Amino acid sequence: MKILNLIKKYGTLIGFFGIIIFFTINLPSTFLTAKNFINISQQISMLAVVAFTMTVVMVMNDFDLSVGSMASLAGIVAAVLFSMGYPIWIGILAALFVGIIGGLFNGFLVSIIGILPFVATLGTLTMFSGFAFLISGGRTIFGRDIPSEFSSFARSGIEISSLGLKIPFLSILALLILFIVWFILEQTTYGRRLYAIGGNTEASFLAGIKVKQLRLSAFALTGVGAAIAGLMYSSRVASSNPTQGSGLMLEAIAAVFLGMTMSEEGEPRVLYTLLGVLILGVLDNGLTQMNVDSYIREVLVGFIVILAVAFSSITKKRN
Amino acid sequence: MQKLELLNLTKSFSSFKALSNVSIEFLSGETHALMGENGAGKTTLIKVLAGILKPDQMTMKIDNKIQNIYSSIQSKNLGFNFIHQELNIISYLSVAENMFLNHPYPKKYKTIIDWNKIYKLSSNALKELGVTHIDVKKKCAKLSTGDQMLVKIASCLIKTDTNPTLYVFDEPTAALTLQESEKLFKVINNLKKRGAIILYVSHRMNEILQISDKVTVLRDGIKVLTDKTSKLSKEKIIRSMVGKDLSDNFPERTGNINKNIVIDVNNVHTKNIRNINFKIKAGEVLGIAGLSNSGQREIFNMLMGVDSMTKGKISFMDQKYEPIGPSDAWKKLISFVPRERRKEALMLKMSVKSNTTTPHYSKISKFFFLANKKEENLITNNYSKKVQLKYENINQPIYQLSGGNQQKVVFSRALASNPKLLLLDEPTRGVDVGAKLDIYNLIIQLTKNGCGIVLNSSDLSEIMGMCDKILILKDHEQYKILENFKINSQDVLANFYESKNQ
Repeated sequence: MKILNLIKKYGTLIGFFGIIIFFTINLPSTFLTAKNFINISQQISMLAVVAFTMTVVMVMNDFDLSVGSMASLAGIVAAVLFSMGYPIWIGILAALFVGIIGGLFNGFLVSIIGILPFVATLGTLTMFSGFAFLISGGRTIFGRDIPSEFSSFARSGIEISSLGLKIPFLSILALLILFIVWFILEQTTYGRRLYAIGGNTEASFLAGIKVKQLRLSAFALTGVGAAIAGLMYSSRVASSNPTQGSGLMLEAIAAVFLGMTMSEEGEPRVLYTLLGVLILGVLDNGLTQMNVDSYIREVLVGFIVILAVAFSSITKKRN
Repeated sequence: MQKLELLNLTKSFSSFKALSNVSIEFLSGETHALMGENGAGKTTLIKVLAGILKPDQMTMKIDNKIQNIYSSIQSKNLGFNFIHQELNIISYLSVAENMFLNHPYPKKYKTIIDWNKIYKLSSNALKELGVTHIDVKKKCAKLSTGDQMLVKIASCLIKTDTNPTLYVFDEPTAALTLQESEKLFKVINNLKKRGAIILYVSHRMNEILQISDKVTVLRDGIKVLTDKTSKLSKEKIIRSMVGKDLSDNFPERTGNINKNIVIDVNNVHTKNIRNINFKIKAGEVLGIAGLSNSGQREIFNMLMGVDSMTKGKISFMDQKYEPIGPSDAWKKLISFVPRERRKEALMLKMSVKSNTTTPHYSKISKFFFLANKKEENLITNNYSKKVQLKYENINQPIYQLSGGNQQKVVFSRALASNPKLLLLDEPTRGVDVGAKLDIYNLIIQLTKNGCGIVLNSSDLSEIMGMCDKILILKDHEQYKILENFKINSQDVLANFYESKNQ
């Protein structure tokens, strides 16, 4: 009985260590090294930022399908401004602004108009993607238009000379966003209220929580997160294309769901979202190193996400 | 079917006896009214007949032959039909389609739906009830509630092999206009002439006297009266519904009512209620009473600012109060205990602490935005003690507590701001006897501290036992305010049933 409870509570975590052990055995010389893990942290930094800010809306039982195309749109907006000769800070500010406006628009549709988040953000997903193609003329904006100061950000980091390692700025930025989201959700009255809305929307309204305003603002936060991820991506590949963010949405939602299997009452917690992101990142990294075909990789990752969520919902039902 | 007998019907829920040893006889061609206060056992009896609840003990005889009901399908096969306030009408389907929901569609060549036959059969069924004004091809969304009810009744007549034998009407007129009700009564009369048995449940005394042949009254799960309607009067029925004097078993009021007026509501209207006028002094308890759905919920919606005022004015603590929403109401020290605990008050998966502090985050915070964990813990511990909450620790999720203790959390949340006005909508619903008494004592404690209280309860004894004044609502309008010490519960109940023009 006790063992069953432990598995129920830490099942996903145990699975995570299982995966690490599996890769360590199969990739003895390359997997369990500091260099590889720093590499992973950079690979997952964009996904992490989107997943952390996705957690903010998922705390209220909402979700945002438009984050991927928002990431594309924000990257394109910045790149187009760069190619027109504007300074870097204007490009970045404009991209973040687009993120806020897009997020507020999502929030407006969901909270003020009252459209289901699924439908509303499915609509804006298509809209944002369309805007990205429209602004870029459908083409990728390449290196010579992107200022080198902008793209060098993703390639540099803090050197730790004693270990001969470099911690990438992208990973540090993701950690910073993690801290900010954690602070908002766990340490402020704002976060308390978001969790109350997720616990029972009607009850929290009658208990004096301004549900509409809070939902609106939470979607704006998620929009900004997506825009930041878009900028990070553009910096990393030193170019922008209108489909660059398309894979982010599904993986971000999957990461939050993986995290939810670990929390006490199945509610999203941003630190558990981090674990969800790590699981996805480690799987991707390890399977790639083992030369597993990318299509098979997708099947496996999808299967593992379903397995974790199914396991936790079955054990919770028994409870 | 000539005769339906229920013998020695008993049903209990854990220790609570909802029905004990009830025997009733229903005859063909008769409208039999079932009456009783809330909680008297009417709904339980209907659910037993529908096969939804399994009785602890019952013998049912149809024409002197013993029959059993184990499921709702069996109940339907016996020819029992149930018409509720909430009609299971699918509004985007036509009248005819709705009537055929429970019957196989007739087909041509065994494949294509025979629409002509469907339309013909459904309009015939309506005609049999004397209803000719409903077009069976119309979408149900376009019909009035009354007409939808007629459609539902007629759909019971579609089946040709067995004639329906029992029709149970559960407060059918609650949502109908006067004209629609009259139409319904005609239809009921037609059913009666066809030899059906009608079991009619309603709170509307005039209706009962007008259309029923016999009346049975239940009180606390016991049958106290069955007689021909012609031999009964309104007063006699009410007396047997109430029985004993109700204001026993309540803790004594010891506090003094202060002269200061907490809230003065002056001729207020919203889109849902009209003519609301009352004053509450510090330490005073105003009871809200009336038949169910007469505007009780809407008074709270008005005071919390969920429904906005369209007319009138309110002053609260000697200042103009224009309710704009729950957030503003809590800030002004108006606390609210909503009616449906699980739906409207609690976050079930969240902790005792979260549930207690939710409305008070702004006050508890540091620098207006930082959560103050120390203060949250302190307040939760203090007020949980004050309401005598039984719990393990403040981080325990609330679904692990009993109903009574959950309600105490809702109370400790309401008290945590030291409210000036406390709004209680059915505060003891679904709460065990011990917790009930604790809640009554809390209310008295609050009045001593000068808090004004609005208490709505469908349990008349609670109103009689706890309130200083009683506001009686009728059809979403204020009917009267009575001083409690001058009257007894029978007078109050009689007020519910008086019609306005009497």
